[in-house]
Amino acid sequence: MTSTSPPAALRVGIVGTGGISRAHLPGWREIGAELHCHSHEGAEDFAASSGAVVHGTLEELLAAVDVVDVCTPTPSHPEVVRAALEAGRDVVCEKPLALDPEVARELAAHAERVGRRLFPAHVVRFFPQYEAAERALDAGAIGTPAVLRFERTGSLPDRSWYADESLSGGIVMDQMIHDIDQALWLAGPVERVFAQQSIAASDSAVRTAHVVLTHASGALSHCRGFWGPTGTAFRYTFDLAGDGGRLQYDSAGDPGIMFDAVASHRQASGAGFLPDVSTLRDPYAAELVEFIAARADGSDARVTPADGVRAVEVASAALESLRTGRSIAC
Amino acid sequence: MLTAHDQDPAAPSAAAPLRIALMSCAHTHAAAYAAQLAPRGDVELVVADPDGFGDLHRARVVGSYEEAWNTWPGGPDAIIVTSANAHHRDLVLEAARRGVHVLCEKPLATTVADAEAMVAVCREAGVVLMTAFPVHFSPAVQALRTAVADGTLGEVIGLTGTNNGKLPAGRDWFTDVELAGGGSLVDHTVHIAEILDSAFGAPATVHAVSNRILYADRAGEGAETGGLVTLTYDSGLVATIDCSWSQSADAPTWGGLRLQAVGTGGQLQIDAFAQHVGGPGTWLPYGTDLDALLLDAFLDAVRAGEAAPPTGEVGLRTVRVVAAAQESVRTGQPVPLG
Repeated sequence: MTSTSPPAALRVGIVGTGGISRAHLPGWREIGAELHCHSHEGAEDFAASSGAVVHGTLEELLAAVDVVDVCTPTPSHPEVVRAALEAGRDVVCEKPLALDPEVARELAAHAERVGRRLFPAHVVRFFPQYEAAERALDAGAIGTPAVLRFERTGSLPDRSWYADESLSGGIVMDQMIHDIDQALWLAGPVERVFAQQSIAASDSAVRTAHVVLTHASGALSHCRGFWGPTGTAFRYTFDLAGDGGRLQYDSAGDPGIMFDAVASHRQASGAGFLPDVSTLRDPYAAELVEFIAARADGSDARVTPADGVRAVEVASAALESLRTGRSIAC
Repeated sequence: MLTAHDQDPAAPSAAAPLRIALMSCAHTHAAAYAAQLAPRGDVELVVADPDGFGDLHRARVVGSYEEAWNTWPGGPDAIIVTSANAHHRDLVLEAARRGVHVLCEKPLATTVADAEAMVAVCREAGVVLMTAFPVHFSPAVQALRTAVADGTLGEVIGLTGTNNGKLPAGRDWFTDVELAGGGSLVDHTVHIAEILDSAFGAPATVHAVSNRILYADRAGEGAETGGLVTLTYDSGLVATIDCSWSQSADAPTWGGLRLQAVGTGGQLQIDAFAQHVGGPGTWLPYGTDLDALLLDAFLDAVRAGEAAPPTGEVGLRTVRVVAAAQESVRTGQPVPLG
C-alpha cells in the first residue's frame, strides 16, 4: 500500500488588488487556492487580509502560479492577459476583456493559439436571479422574447480612473456591459445599437446611459445605467416580455430581510459600487468555482471568450453611437 | 343651422346645464365618460353611436352624428370625440365650424397635418380644444412634476417610462393601422410624451425601434406591438419610453404607467396605477378616478371659454413625437424635431 499525498492546491495569482479583487477572495478560498498577488499599489494590504504571497513583478508572479486572475484597471487587461497566456497560464479576466473589440478578439485568438483557457468574468450570469430567468427563457416560459429591459443603478466607483472615459470606457463599458451581456445571453446576437448618455452639468460623477439594442431575432432590449449621487444604493432590475409570458425582477423589491426606518439608520449600507450579495449564493464565488471546474474537465464555461468579445463589440458600438449620434450596425 | 348660442361659444350660462354630445362609441373610453357624465346634474348628455356598437346604455343614444348635433335647438356646448383615431379630424373641424368646444381622445390625430389643422381651426374659431390625457391628472404624475420643478431631484438627467398594456380589446380598429394610425407606437407613446412635455417641454430628437412579436396572431396587419422610443432634450436629458403591448393576456389588470426620473438629487419612481388591493388573479383599483378629473377640467374650461392642460397644442406636440418615432423606425436613425 502506497500513501498518496493530498492534491496540490491550485496556485492563483491575483493581479491588481483594488475593489474587485476582494470580491473574488471568498471564491478562491472556497476552492482552497494558494494565493499570490501583484499590484502597483495596495498589494501589502491585500496580502495582510488574504494571506497571499506578494510578488514584486508580474514575471515573478507568473512563474509561481497556475491561474492568473486579472483585476487591474481595464486599460492594462490586454498586456496582463497576453503575458499570462505567453507564460502558459490560464486566465480569469475581469470585464471588459479590453476596450477595443479588435484587441478583445486578439486576446481570445491568443488563448486559442496557445491552448490556454480565458474566462471573461461576466459575473451577472452567475447571479441566481438572472440564472433563473435564463433557464426559464430556455424552457420557453415567455415564448419568443420581444421587449427586454435591464436597469443597473449604483454610484461611480471611488477610483479616479473609472471617471476617465478613455480609461474605463465610461458607464457603458464599465457598468452597462453587464446588462449588454445579459441581453446577448437572453436574446441572442445584436444587429443594431443606439445609445444616448447624459452627464450632469453640475456633477460629472452623476451620469446615465440608455442603450437600445435590436437583436437578430427581432427582439428589442433597453439597457439603462445610472451612476447616482453619493449614497445611491446598488439596484438592478429586469423585465422580459415575450409572446408567451413575462418575467420581472427588481432587487429593491426583494426584501427577504427588511429593517424599518429606525433600525436601518443603524445598519451599515453598501458603498453603491458593488451589489450586496450577502443573502445569495455568492455569484463571484460561483463564477470562479465554475471556471475552475471547466478548466479541470475542459468543458466550455458559462461565459466563453467569444461571449466576452461580443459584449465588448456591442458596448463599443454603443460608444460609437454616443460619439456620432447615429444608430450603429454591428 | 347657426343660432345665437353658436355665435357666442365662449360663454354658456353658468347656471344652465352644459349640453355635451359624445361623438362615437368606437373608443372604449366612451362608456367610461358616459358613466361619469350621465348622472351629473350640470350636464345634459347625448351619445352618438353611428357605427351601431349598441353597447352603451347609460345615456340617451342616437344613431348618427347629425342627430347628436341637432339634439338641442342651439346645438351642443361641447363634444367629446371618441371615434376611431383617423376620424378625429373631421369631427373636430365640424365642431369648430359650429363654434362648439372639444375634448378629443388621444392621440389627437393620426398625422401631424391633421393635428396642426385641428389646433389651427379651433384657435381661429375661438373654441376650446383639449386632448384626453387622463394620466395628466394622476397624483403620482403631479408628484413627479413637483419634484422636477422644486429641485428635489436636483438636475434631472434621465427618465425611463413604461406604458405597457394588453393588446387593446373590444374594438378591432385599435390595431388597424389605417384607423388607429399605427400600433403600440401610436397608442402608448403619447401618454408619457405628454407627461414629459408638461415637465420638460418638447424633445430635440426622437429615436425609435419597434417589432411585432407580442400578440402577433391578433394585432391588425402591419401594426407594431412592441417599441422603444428614446427622446433627447437640449438640456442633455435622455428619456426612453417602452410603449409595448407587453402585459400578458392573463394578467389581472390591463397594464400600467410608470416613470423613473434620476438626477443629482436622487431618484423618483412613480406608478400611476399602483393603488390596488390584490390577491391571486385579483386587482381591485382604488386610486383617484382620473377620467373624472379630466372631465372636470374640461367642463371648467368650457364654462370659462379657455382651454386648460392638457391642451390641443400638447396633443399636437405628442403627435409630432409619434410621427418622428415612425420615421425613425423607417430610417433606422434618430429624427430631429423641427
